[in-house]
Amino acid sequence: MIRAIRMRVMGGTSRFFRIAIALSSLWLVLFALAPNALLLLVAFFTRSDEHFVTPVLTLDNYIRLFDPTFLTILWDSARLACIATVICLLIGYPFAYIMANVRPNRRPFLLFLVIIPFWTSSLIRTYALILILKSKGLISELLTMLGITSGPVSFMYSDFAVFIGLTYTMLPFMILPLYASIEKLDRRLLDAAKDLGASSWRAFVHVTVPLTMPGIIAGAMLVFLPALSMFYVPEMLGGAKSMLLGNFIKNQFLVARDWPLGAAASSVMTIALILMVLVYSRVSRRGVRNREGGRGSGGALRSEGGMR
Amino acid sequence: MKHRLFRDRLFPRFLAAIAVTLFACAGFALPAAAKDAASEEKVLNIFCWSEYLPQEALDKFTEETGIKVVYSTYESNEAMYAKLKLLDGKGYDIVVPSTYFIEQMRHDGLLQPLDKTRLTNLAKLDPTLLNQEYDPDNAYSIPYMWGATGLMVNKKFADPATVASWSDLMRPEFKGRVILSDDVRDVVGFALKRDGHSMNSRNEAEIKKAFDFLNELKPAVRVFDVTAAKQAFISEEVVIGIIWNGDAYIAIEENPDLAFVYPREGAVLWIDSFAIPKGAEHKDNAHKFIDFMLRPENAALVVEEFKYSTPNLEVRPYLPKELQESRLIFPTAEDLKNSEVTMGVGEAKAVYERLWESLKAGK
Amino acid sequence: MKVLGRIYLWAVYLFLYLPIVVVILFSFNNARYSTHWAGFTVRWYKVLAGNSQLIEAAVNSLTVGTLGATLATILGTMTAICLSRKRFFGQKFLHGGIYLLTVSPEIVMGIAMLIFFIALRVELGFATLLISHITLCLPFVVVTVLARLSSFDEHLVEAARDLGASERQALRHVILPLILPAVAAGWLLSFTLSMDDVLISFFVAGPDYEVLPLRVYSMVRLGVKPDINALSAILFGVTIVVVLLVQTLIKVRKK
Repeated sequence: MIRAIRMRVMGGTSRFFRIAIALSSLWLVLFALAPNALLLLVAFFTRSDEHFVTPVLTLDNYIRLFDPTFLTILWDSARLACIATVICLLIGYPFAYIMANVRPNRRPFLLFLVIIPFWTSSLIRTYALILILKSKGLISELLTMLGITSGPVSFMYSDFAVFIGLTYTMLPFMILPLYASIEKLDRRLLDAAKDLGASSWRAFVHVTVPLTMPGIIAGAMLVFLPALSMFYVPEMLGGAKSMLLGNFIKNQFLVARDWPLGAAASSVMTIALILMVLVYSRVSRRGVRNREGGRGSGGALRSEGGMR
Repeated sequence: MKHRLFRDRLFPRFLAAIAVTLFACAGFALPAAAKDAASEEKVLNIFCWSEYLPQEALDKFTEETGIKVVYSTYESNEAMYAKLKLLDGKGYDIVVPSTYFIEQMRHDGLLQPLDKTRLTNLAKLDPTLLNQEYDPDNAYSIPYMWGATGLMVNKKFADPATVASWSDLMRPEFKGRVILSDDVRDVVGFALKRDGHSMNSRNEAEIKKAFDFLNELKPAVRVFDVTAAKQAFISEEVVIGIIWNGDAYIAIEENPDLAFVYPREGAVLWIDSFAIPKGAEHKDNAHKFIDFMLRPENAALVVEEFKYSTPNLEVRPYLPKELQESRLIFPTAEDLKNSEVTMGVGEAKAVYERLWESLKAGK
Repeated sequence: MKVLGRIYLWAVYLFLYLPIVVVILFSFNNARYSTHWAGFTVRWYKVLAGNSQLIEAAVNSLTVGTLGATLATILGTMTAICLSRKRFFGQKFLHGGIYLLTVSPEIVMGIAMLIFFIALRVELGFATLLISHITLCLPFVVVTVLARLSSFDEHLVEAARDLGASERQALRHVILPLILPAVAAGWLLSFTLSMDDVLISFFVAGPDYEVLPLRVYSMVRLGVKPDINALSAILFGVTIVVVLLVQTLIKVRKK
């Protein structure tokens, strides 16, 4: 109720918002909506060798997707992206948490340090990872030197190498949103929880995690979505023994020149995304409700009871 | 109200910044004025793989003619084709497609016929590489570089003398240590050759049979390589597999335990050629450049830098001895017996692609 | 606990920087294709100096990256503020559009953009590249900033408004400072994306404006050359110097 009134008071008066909304809507219509609408259209067209597509409507492209091959590809990609996201979260969360708790004036520097390696081409960095992981590579030589292994060992062309590569490539996309979210966490809430007798672990699970949930979700999306269509790293480090969604789509557009099939596959990805966004908005709406409920004395701490 | 708006400067400044940027974009984006065809500007827009033309040769060309070389890159024939097709053959003056892409682009009307009277060094090219099926009489393309996909094996694990056939990839001692390339036509090509078929087969039964072999071979494969295969061979991640001859030359330099074999069923050949897109704005310069690269001393620079073969027959005197004598770079007719050039497969392309996907997706 | 935290922090940094160290090391490796150490040389830096095309591509990349990231950050931050603070017609659509952008495969975006530019008869070059990069980066900024705004304490804005601040003043003095870390993070992610994008850049780049990632990716066919390592090492060195310089400047100003 109060929120609704405030909205009405603030709304409509500001030119800034009107222009901002207009500008970003225009941009999105032009560059997000139009291409995707086009894509959806193409998915129902028929392929043509002359002009890529001919406007003959068909459902064939979707039917072709219900082929065990594509389902395997979809499953492999989703599994890979999922595991990569979880690993990134497990490594990134503590990292962002510690970083958000160092002296404020050192934080920007640490943040910069996270991102600088990523300004070197990812191909070059993946090549460097190969030099580290390969037989007689850095790790192999180190293990031999330490006497742990007798001969050269290789970590290349394995799932392990792929996950190292994916984690390495995607980690900052997890750390940065997490950091932005954890950094503004009110530490007094944690102290209050502890004063009320909660163990550190309980305080973390019931206060910190719920409050930083938007950051966790943002990070997870920024890792999961690109990882879903990423193919370069798994190909180079994993040996390209299975086909992934990103490569499948790219192949349809370039190698097989079957745009409609590629468009259909790509729209399947979009549907998966819409499902995820629905989940996301549910969670974030719950977050809003908690905050609203917490207004008054106890703040988020009191509302935290509702999270369980 | 007005007063307030001006005092709070964030907003106007913000708008100004965006306006300036948009105007700047518009300025850059305005279509360039029509160029005077009579006096071509001294620019040549090349569209090619990156590091595929020796820098030394480019510098020499600019020095000699005063024409500035603008070198744009692509990562695959497919990507180059898609872009040029969308651009309707405009924007670039020289492209370097492989065989069956020349056929396709010619067919699509994306290339323009070459003026051979201006290519004075044409006679120096190997006639066996000219007048190929993909471009009869070389009306649209001039070969620049060529090579063969063959077998490489590590002597520490097997005697190269015993390796002569594509079938040797299946030998049990190589299980889990085989490298194949990630290129569907290269891989299916050798599987087809192994069965004694053409590597450009459009016969579904033949293609299926080739894939049956590949499915059988897959458990033995350690990597479908997306980069140059030499790295995996040099660090002995793999013991046997397919590799381009130029890569093989470099790999052997680095690791003398390696050996290259031209398989008896025939190697898979590729030829990359210069061609001029239909909408090229600097076709005078493009002809000058092609003729320049056809000179033996410049072709020699290519061989020295990349270790791949040149179609130029007069190149040997300009090369160091070890390159001149290398059978890797200059294979004999015997080496290339039964070899074939990759060609388009028409509608069968979909069959190749579908079976390739299921090969990759299969466990 | 604190020591443990520090150790963890630096362990992750080690993981992030190890490949970079390898790249720098191998830029001094005296072998053209070798993946083994073959002695020290500065040859590749000399080769790089003669490779004007590569240097030009690097400069182009830096220009597009900086400008693209900045504009994407401005636009993205505005969008995020709108999305979190307003109820308006089409909000859901705007929100959806942002996520649509994240999931569109690069190849689709690249081809769609090229078709779009051809339809408008825009000549490919700097402008088309910039617009595409802004589009590529936009969702990443929005998602990052939105995450910070989504649990934003409305009381602060209310308090500012109660004290007589206009909406814009509240925006400038309350909201912006609070979301600054997220805005910075968004910029950094954008710049990273822009420096590494291949497929979109490939389709929208014109002949006279080539960017570094295209050159690097296309080297796959013949193998990566050491002068690229040298270039990466130089770029890395310059970045470090700039960051350290900024860091000291901030310290000096604070004193």
